[in-house]
Amino acid sequence: MSHVDTSPIKLRKQWSASEILALVNEEVGRLDPRIYTDEDLYQLELERVFGRSWLLLGHESQIRNPGDYITNYMGEDPVVVVRQKDGSIGVFLNQCRHRGMRICRSDKGNAKAFTCSYHGWAYDIAGNLVNVPFEAESFPCLDKKEWSPLKARVDTYKGLIFANWDADALDLNTYLGEAKFYMDHMLDRTEAGTEAIPGVQKWVIPCNWKFAAEQFCSDMYHAGTTSHLSGILAGLPEGLELADLAPPTVGRQYRAPWGGHGTGFYVGDPNLLLAIMGPKITSYLTEGPAAEKASERLGSVERGTQVMAEHMTIFPTCSFLPGINTVRSWHPRGPNEVEVWAFTVVDADAADDIKDEFRRQTLRTFSAGGVFEQDDGENWVEIQHILRGYKARSRPFNAEMSIGQAVENDPVYPGRVSRNVYNEEAARGFYTHWARVMSSPDWAALNATRRA
Amino acid sequence: MLDSVKRSEIFLKKPSPVAPALQHEIEQFYYWEAKLLNERRFEDWFALLAADIHYFMPIRTTRIMREAKLEYSTAGEYAHFDDDAHAMKGRIRKITSDVSWSENPASRTRHIVSNVMIADGAVEGEYEISSAFIVYRNRLERQLDIFAGERRDTLRRTNSEAGFEIVNRTIFIDQSTILANNLSFFF
Repeated sequence: MSHVDTSPIKLRKQWSASEILALVNEEVGRLDPRIYTDEDLYQLELERVFGRSWLLLGHESQIRNPGDYITNYMGEDPVVVVRQKDGSIGVFLNQCRHRGMRICRSDKGNAKAFTCSYHGWAYDIAGNLVNVPFEAESFPCLDKKEWSPLKARVDTYKGLIFANWDADALDLNTYLGEAKFYMDHMLDRTEAGTEAIPGVQKWVIPCNWKFAAEQFCSDMYHAGTTSHLSGILAGLPEGLELADLAPPTVGRQYRAPWGGHGTGFYVGDPNLLLAIMGPKITSYLTEGPAAEKASERLGSVERGTQVMAEHMTIFPTCSFLPGINTVRSWHPRGPNEVEVWAFTVVDADAADDIKDEFRRQTLRTFSAGGVFEQDDGENWVEIQHILRGYKARSRPFNAEMSIGQAVENDPVYPGRVSRNVYNEEAARGFYTHWARVMSSPDWAALNATRRA
Repeated sequence: MLDSVKRSEIFLKKPSPVAPALQHEIEQFYYWEAKLLNERRFEDWFALLAADIHYFMPIRTTRIMREAKLEYSTAGEYAHFDDDAHAMKGRIRKITSDVSWSENPASRTRHIVSNVMIADGAVEGEYEISSAFIVYRNRLERQLDIFAGERRDTLRRTNSEAGFEIVNRTIFIDQSTILANNLSFFF
């Protein structure tokens, strides 16, 4: 008689720390595709990645005056970001504590208070519960101090606003570490800093958030090969063909030794930047007073004028392109969808025509309709759809490109740096850090994985 | 050409009826234009754009009624499209290349144009037009996107076979968050 297994079939998986760590193998460069699809891993991401990382919420110039607010998300949690009377920034969960209704239902504006439209509980601009209808008659024991929405820690780095739910998280400065050196290529070219062009573009890509975040972290390969050929074509002067161009090869890639951040850029070859931003912005970035000032502030002519077409991600979902100046969050919407929230920054003291050219060129190239970005969504959507297949999820992806080439003693560039810009070192760093965060029960455990 | 503020005010009042022949002529122009787009005759469609074309799609936001006038992004702010003829020419070069992966294999689109209202433009031979559109897009195996909105055009009469060229196209889309992975086609 054949043996019949009568034990129940367990369909939902409880991931152990060792199983999570095994999903990413940075020694040989392997990624288990289930990191992009598994619903249980996704729920854990909301708790452990988005519940305790520093997340980009916008730019200080988007909320200049007291009461100015924008609404945004931390993972799937809606938040209100409000300029306070003392100039500080408050961030609180956009959820009334009474029955969970959304407190603020507008994308942005100016407010003196926020009143929940369900039963009228009212909050001041710091998110403190200040008024409850029929309080004396019906809530005689209510301590309003205890019923404010959850507040997040807030900090800024050179104009960018970040927030974090976790009281035990590293401070933002330490969290960013030597990544700040590379962020400055966009944020610190002038003592005036940056400002955001008004307006945030939002769109939906049915793919896992990590495809987008990883690409901005590590993937110059797709730009130097096939993905963006037609985007380049759209920006080529009449008479010039793709065959006339060779992809740049000289550059650097940076991987945060710990922290998951990454960036890469060409050095000295303006071809890709020209195709994206055109001659006017390329000239602004490489010659003349603004470029000279940037060289002075950044400490070298190479960093001020020769770093080109840079891509960057601050773990987990803050991505931007220094020199192109699009900045975005990849808000997760389940394992199979991401919402892109994108805006553009410009040097605050740039001439008006330069600011407008940045605006026109970034929306022409890096936006939902952008001639470069259109084709990114195409790849990620197809990958995500294919991963519905059991067999498609059963074998690892290859992330071994340029393994072992990065060093930590580059004379100019801090962190783990490779002279080969076509590299997946930063991707290996991104996913390795993801696995660390996902397998650590709290910040104390996560901190214990940092090197001294 | 009228500035954008004046253009936006034209249809605050019901326009006076235009001659049926003109109404017919302009509607036929739109049907022809839609056919060119749906049949992917992008070079032919580009020929309908004036040398001074402004192709503009502002971002629409969710606002409380008190701030409803700020619903759309304006000139100088971020937008979905804000292109001149040079930028549009680049888009045509992209979409007609065989390496434009977001449109190769190509989308199947259907542009439906309706509610065409016509007013005289700033100069003889120019017309200000408000119309409603639905753009249906299906691509690859089962991707489906549906967009609706208003197009506000300035058309200029020409001696060409098409009869008009498009000088201004402002697309007011009925979405705040764009519910699609890209906008790789034309409205």
